Amino acid sequence: MTCEEAKNRMTDYWSLTLGAAEREDFTAHLASCEACRSDVSRIGALWQGLDLLPLEEPSGQVRERFYEMLGAYRQGLASAEARPVRRWWTMPAWQMAAAAVLLAAGLGIGYGARGNGQPPAEISQLREEVASMRQLVALSLMQQQSASERLKGVSWSYQVEPSDTEVLNALVTTVRHDPNVNVRLAAVDALRPFTGSPVTHLTARNAVVQALPKETSPIVQVALIDFLAELKERNAAPELRRLVSDPDIDVGVRNRAEWALERMQ
Amino acid sequence: MAEVSAGQVAQLAVLFERHHRALFRYFVSMSGHREAAEDLVQDVFFRILRYRTSYNPAQSFTAWMYQIARNAGVDQVRKQGAVQVVDIDTFAERRAELVSASPGPEENASRGQDLALLRRAMGQLPEDKREILVLSRFQRMKHEDIAEVLGCEVGTVKVRVYRAIRALEQIYFALVKEKVEKEKVS
Repeated sequence: MTCEEAKNRMTDYWSLTLGAAEREDFTAHLASCEACRSDVSRIGALWQGLDLLPLEEPSGQVRERFYEMLGAYRQGLASAEARPVRRWWTMPAWQMAAAAVLLAAGLGIGYGARGNGQPPAEISQLREEVASMRQLVALSLMQQQSASERLKGVSWSYQVEPSDTEVLNALVTTVRHDPNVNVRLAAVDALRPFTGSPVTHLTARNAVVQALPKETSPIVQVALIDFLAELKERNAAPELRRLVSDPDIDVGVRNRAEWALERMQ
Repeated sequence: MAEVSAGQVAQLAVLFERHHRALFRYFVSMSGHREAAEDLVQDVFFRILRYRTSYNPAQSFTAWMYQIARNAGVDQVRKQGAVQVVDIDTFAERRAELVSASPGPEENASRGQDLALLRRAMGQLPEDKREILVLSRFQRMKHEDIAEVLGCEVGTVKVRVYRAIRALEQIYFALVKEKVEKEKVS
């Protein structure tokens, strides 16, 4: 065995992955080569030392976000499978274009069919298609890596029914975990329509109450406080009082919390 | 993965539980940023879902996943318009955490400092060398899988791993020397 060959086997030697015959050749070479012996000992210590470096652990949010993403994806897939020709829907640009075309077609058919009393079954079906597509567009965009795409997703959420729990859940996740302040801010505003639906109002209200203690951006904090004041949400009073009495909180946030408490009384 | 590829997307949870920590550590080792690493883990699993039908069951899943991970990392760097560097200060801050149950406080401190230097040396390695060392040493990937990820021969992987650990050694001992000289001056 040459020194060059020995060098290429060193990492296998340290990792104990050399075969018996190779190991024998390797150790025979070491016995006769001081330079390689020195390499094995010196660099080997460093190789083993890498084991002592601490292992980084991801936060719990990674798991939470993954399962939310998987749930939304499965939901989208289930809707898509109900209608066979939809594989191109996974592309947001196509989703938006198709939604616009279907909306126009739906309006056209609706206009042509007006005055017939009962809406034809095709129109109801088209309405369902449009609603389902809007939901998919919103959910898909809110999962994107780019903040501007997620912002578009939040805007699309205004076009779904306020009783749409899937989109509401995605918005709640965005308010709680999105790393971008603008996206979080937009998502807080986008929760408003959901507080008017008997199906989703409780989830939406609770989401706002629970988001406030975790929020760190003053501008989003103020948006949440305004929303809570508007809702007259008494469950938020303890957190608002905490903000008022916390000297480390931004003065604008403190004043807004004080104002909200007065308004709730 | 074959089941996910066949449409049973819920099975992705099994792959996530098995691989997400290793994937996270790969991204942290490459970028030094925990939050970015968490976003990238999410992105990788989203891409796995999206491209699941392109997976070839004859291929190693780990190799395929790290190919996706590399692409996700490259895309992120492109989007940000700048290469993220390893935050050396972060490494230094973690020095205290490096010390484990050793006999005495002096030995602990010395070992902690050595490991901090080792970690700094890892951070100063050129990206290609750091990557191959991370895949080989920390992710414990087979040379065959690394070859598939990097698109090269197994023999080339062995040569490159050796060169990477040699380069790490040189940086590490340069840092040790620098530290000894500083101590002498002070």
